[in-house]
Amino acid sequence: MATAAVYSSPGFDFSNEIRNNFLASKGIPLPKATSTGTTIVGCIFEDGIILGADTRATEGPIVADKNCEKIHYITESIRCCGAGTAADTEFVTNLISSNMEMHALTHNRKPRVVTAMTMLKQYLFRYQGHVGAALVLGGVDATGPNLFTIAPHGSTDKLPYVTMGSGSLAAMAVFESGWRKGMSREEALTLVKSAISAGIFNDLGSGSNVDACIITANNTEMLRNVEMPNERVQKERTYVFPKGTTAWKKEEVRKLVVQEEVRLVGEAMDTD
Amino acid sequence: MDHIDMNRLKQGEINLGTSIMAVQFEGGVVIGADSRTTSGSYIANRVTDKLTFLHDRIYCCRSGSAADTQAIADIGHYSLQMQTQVIGAAPTVLTAAAIMEKMCYQNKDQLSAGIIVAGWDKKNGPSVYNIPLGGGLFRQPWAIGGSGSTYVYGYCDATYQEGWGKDETVNFVKNTLALAMSRDGSSGGCIRMCVITEDGVERMFIPGDQLPRFWEGKEILSDVTKKPLAAIAAVMDVAPMAVEV
Amino acid sequence: MPDMIALSHPASGHPQQRQFNPYSENGGTILAISGADFSVIAGDTRQSEGYSIQTRYAPKVFRLTDKAVLAVNGFAADGNMFVKQVRQRLEWYRHAHAKDMPLRAIARLIQTMLYARRFFPYYVYNILGGIEEDGSGAVYSFDPVGSYERESCRAAGAAQSLVQPFLDNQIYFKNQVPQPGHPHPKHLPLTTVIQLVIDSFTSATERHIEVGDGLEMFVVLAKGSPLYGLENIDGVQEMTATNDGERLFVVRRNLKRD
Repeated sequence: MATAAVYSSPGFDFSNEIRNNFLASKGIPLPKATSTGTTIVGCIFEDGIILGADTRATEGPIVADKNCEKIHYITESIRCCGAGTAADTEFVTNLISSNMEMHALTHNRKPRVVTAMTMLKQYLFRYQGHVGAALVLGGVDATGPNLFTIAPHGSTDKLPYVTMGSGSLAAMAVFESGWRKGMSREEALTLVKSAISAGIFNDLGSGSNVDACIITANNTEMLRNVEMPNERVQKERTYVFPKGTTAWKKEEVRKLVVQEEVRLVGEAMDTD
Repeated sequence: MDHIDMNRLKQGEINLGTSIMAVQFEGGVVIGADSRTTSGSYIANRVTDKLTFLHDRIYCCRSGSAADTQAIADIGHYSLQMQTQVIGAAPTVLTAAAIMEKMCYQNKDQLSAGIIVAGWDKKNGPSVYNIPLGGGLFRQPWAIGGSGSTYVYGYCDATYQEGWGKDETVNFVKNTLALAMSRDGSSGGCIRMCVITEDGVERMFIPGDQLPRFWEGKEILSDVTKKPLAAIAAVMDVAPMAVEV
Repeated sequence: MPDMIALSHPASGHPQQRQFNPYSENGGTILAISGADFSVIAGDTRQSEGYSIQTRYAPKVFRLTDKAVLAVNGFAADGNMFVKQVRQRLEWYRHAHAKDMPLRAIARLIQTMLYARRFFPYYVYNILGGIEEDGSGAVYSFDPVGSYERESCRAAGAAQSLVQPFLDNQIYFKNQVPQPGHPHPKHLPLTTVIQLVIDSFTSATERHIEVGDGLEMFVVLAKGSPLYGLENIDGVQEMTATNDGERLFVVRRNLKRD
């Protein structure tokens, strides 16, 4: 028997497609999605992976969020930085995180980074670039440290240092000149910080603070706002309005506490 | 009817600009590729591995969209594993190539993939199959592909000879790719090669600063031109291919 | 860089049209506020294209005379050329009349210069600030083809939609009911205006990606006006060229660089 109509089918809902195409043809475009203009990076060091991200989210030329989190949780020892359409990166990493947990439970093993990478690339390929997520996936598993980039159409690259997003060129310039094989944790963290900073200061789509995540074989350390080079400056004036500044058309005061009188009618119930 | 542009890439898609090649010889095949992946004018990966494993003795060289060719190669790899379990033996290169061709042909309006399948099998020995953009399956003694290949068809036609051994074939692949990479802007980086024989697969790597070099021009107005010819010849330090007849 | 745009498919075999787009948009914001006997004209110094910064210091505000300052925003190449041509016309005027052109005349001149290019416009929004012949502070704002009006405050450019509502509220007291017995002042003092300008730019820098790096603020004082504490402002620099006329000052501040 067919499933009751109250349940919606799984996957994307295309019911607004026809209406939206009609509106677009009348010159009413789709609303702008929040995008993370973004600089995201990843790099391998002697005993693990460091991921890095800036914290600016934009809607066109407007800064939508000055301190958003772009390093997403996949598993305890696998994390993923997202660039592109904010909703897509958020959803796709959540979905794969959930599937990875299920995978771990069914097989009773810690899942590998390639597993997450394959799930992500197959999902993104299926949507032919319409799911606009550009990702940097990194983690440590039984095979050692692993680092990948996944482009929105579903192609992947495996490299010792990677960058993505609008600030990727600025960040890659730093990696190409400063990365060496077998760097220490401190050296790698400094390099990641300066790669993100290059994006923050030279790419308009990136800005605010530096987030980093250090993943080693038995520990994951999320360094939220490791560097804050763009603190808000003190305003010259205080903008406090005196009471009564806002105009009103009518005044109506209502009592929010309702009082009612309760009168006992008849005998009380026997509760013994 | 409107004619379909096979070369189109979707907005912002990552492209394997690419020079790829495969050549068969007496005991096996040599496959090779440059290592450049581009997104517009940006090099997204300068050490890409475009020589992709399909089965123990079968590889493919990928050109076109990175996403499409990776997806096809992954499915091809899966199909060949299944095939192996069903027939209980290693599949032939033809089988692998036919599987790949079927995907390329049936999904031609959604894909941009130019693939060369090459390898060794018990039945036919070494073989090279070319699968161009819209599908089609062609067995060739040598095949070149990707945007860089257009520059070196003449060189290949003039140079290839039957009956070469492994070393001569490796040299041919190496020189062809170096020439293609030097002319094609979307090819470059280093050269990766594989020699596939009955005994196994041997990987080779030529770093970008050790590529074979050919005549690269000289400053027409410089003093060098005024020197006697013998002096110029001494300056030139190029691979033997440059003086080969 | 202006792009070459292919309008039809190159390999289609049909005739194809190519178009050169001479314009681009270089971001940034300008703003001007006039007071009773002064005028403040300001702009940020970032010049950008797309997501790249071309330079962190490209002036958008220019001294024309001791009593007139012009802020130009939009396509930087057009802006610089336009300022150059306005200055040339003002110099010719000086040679012909042995005095600086009055502000209202400069405004009308700018209108005719902009309208002369009605069908191939300068891609710029102009704001002219300074002192009128009667000694009052004035601001004139223009659209790219020369429509203009005198106002007491105006913001233009990338963050216009962020700054103008703030100015409407703080300068014109829009949506503010005065306290009983305390009507809104007709003119704001110079120190308050300078604070509002600085706050406008630090706020625009926070929320608009094309605004930042530096703030350049010109202050024009009417003939014989006191300094109103201007001398105490950090890093103020006098730019006046003539004696016993209007006085011109510039104040520079750093803005966030991300």
